[in-house]
Amino acid sequence: MRKLLEIALGVLTAIGGFVDIGDLVASTETGARFGLGLAWVVVVGVLGIIVYAEMAGRVASVSGRAVFDLVRERLGAGVGLLNLAASFFITLLTLAAEIGGVALSLQLATSVNYLLFVPIVGLLVWLVCWRVRFELMDNAVGLLGLALIVVAVAVWRAHPDWGAMLHSATHPVVPGTESHAAYWYFAIALLGSAMTPYEVFFFSSGAVEQRWTRSDLLVNRLNVYIGFPLGGLLALALMVAAALVLEPRGIDPSHLSQAALPTSLVLGKLGLALALLGFFACTSGAALETALSCGYSIAQYFGWPWGKLIKPARAPRFQLIVLVSIALGAGLVLTTLDPIKLTEYAIVLSAAALPLTYLPLLIVANDPAYLGDKVNSRLSNAIASAYLVVLVVASVATVPLMVVSKAGGG
Amino acid sequence: MNQRHHRHAWVRQRSRLAQAVGLGLVALIATAGCTGPVRSDGVYASKAAATAEAAASAVETAQLAVQEAAAGELFGRSLAQTLAEAASDAGDAQATFDAIQPPDRRSKVLRGQLDRLLTPAASVLADLRIAARWGDTAALPRLAAPLPKLAEEFQRFEEACR
Repeated sequence: MRKLLEIALGVLTAIGGFVDIGDLVASTETGARFGLGLAWVVVVGVLGIIVYAEMAGRVASVSGRAVFDLVRERLGAGVGLLNLAASFFITLLTLAAEIGGVALSLQLATSVNYLLFVPIVGLLVWLVCWRVRFELMDNAVGLLGLALIVVAVAVWRAHPDWGAMLHSATHPVVPGTESHAAYWYFAIALLGSAMTPYEVFFFSSGAVEQRWTRSDLLVNRLNVYIGFPLGGLLALALMVAAALVLEPRGIDPSHLSQAALPTSLVLGKLGLALALLGFFACTSGAALETALSCGYSIAQYFGWPWGKLIKPARAPRFQLIVLVSIALGAGLVLTTLDPIKLTEYAIVLSAAALPLTYLPLLIVANDPAYLGDKVNSRLSNAIASAYLVVLVVASVATVPLMVVSKAGGG
Repeated sequence: MNQRHHRHAWVRQRSRLAQAVGLGLVALIATAGCTGPVRSDGVYASKAAATAEAAASAVETAQLAVQEAAAGELFGRSLAQTLAEAASDAGDAQATFDAIQPPDRRSKVLRGQLDRLLTPAASVLADLRIAARWGDTAALPRLAAPLPKLAEEFQRFEEACR
């Protein structure tokens, strides 16, 4: 019974913790501009993260070691450093975007300028990373993030024409007002937001923090196979809500407030309150995850003691990296760089760096020295390899599309 | 010795190339969303259309927010924030467009036409922002009355420019 509860909690946390500022921005913006013409990318992205997160969780459960630790050992310091540099830069940008997202959620609830919240948010993120137990932190923000289900309820209560929606999702077209370059630019942004590198590092490091073993492989699979697709449905709900309410009015969202308007239109103040709670929880959760991921990646690469299970005094370098990363992230937002624009750049650049993150993981997951009989099956290798091809194509196309489409502007 | 010298030179050359490529990429990314100089009336017209589209989006956002506020579906602070952002978006769109030098007389006429829409839109959105900040939600529908016509005109202007 206790195991069952543990599994249910893990799945619920995976659902609530799936969406972050990248999904909020990318799903709402694409829904408002392209209707459901890019819904297929959410499906592709969620399947991709399922394949690789399962691999990361399995590697951590069987070997008892996290991804970066093994990547450096298996592929050498040079390749490991390349992997680290690309992933750390993207994770740091994402951390800044998440801190900005938390501050914007608070601004929307209080109408006080978000910049005033940024130092407070940074301080709170650091305090939670430093003092709060891993399970408590992970479960609390994950469960609060479930408030975002209100967006799916709003879509359902809006009584859309489901047949027409399914048709537009399965027969994607580029709207006449949009260019093909902008369509593919946003496709890459959606892919980047679904498969952002920190998710894999946090998932595998979290498995080590929670002392997963071979006996937890089922928990790993259930979290990934049930939690992630249901979390992906929340991202899809945001897109559908925007397609139903914002697209017909020609609203091109550039603020978090516009992402909440469809929910409040259908469900009123209660819906709005839950949506704001959901925005706050999912950005807070992701801010914590990205801050810890910055510390995890560098400490694991250099072989320093890391994690929340050990006292901060025994992992000073890990704690210092987390602190410095939070300060840098908050500092970047305090330059008054628009957090929504920052998010857009973070997810698009994340897509450009994806092969560097996922190829080493695929190599490690095929090494019997670490995984014994739990190495990848032929099927999972085939799917993962197909994804790598997609990721390489997306990675190569990112910067040219960014320039041609003027960063999605036209 | 000679071999080592060649190797060092090759490493230095490669590192310079990597630096140049890196700097080039950063410059490309940094300028990807920037407004460049305009040399033809066609490009100027497309910028005018994009400005009209951005202003229409702000106007429609304000309309939706006022509609929700009238139905009691928005909290006062969220309403004030949404309207402040809409006003700021319209103002930014106008400021960015007005900063572009029209390349010829035809473009200057176009600039005048768009400004005749942007100025009243910015003014209405500013009035809405002020009323929302004062908590005067009852006045919002009256203040927002010109918005549907402005939204239509922005749309017509945009279609004509595309």
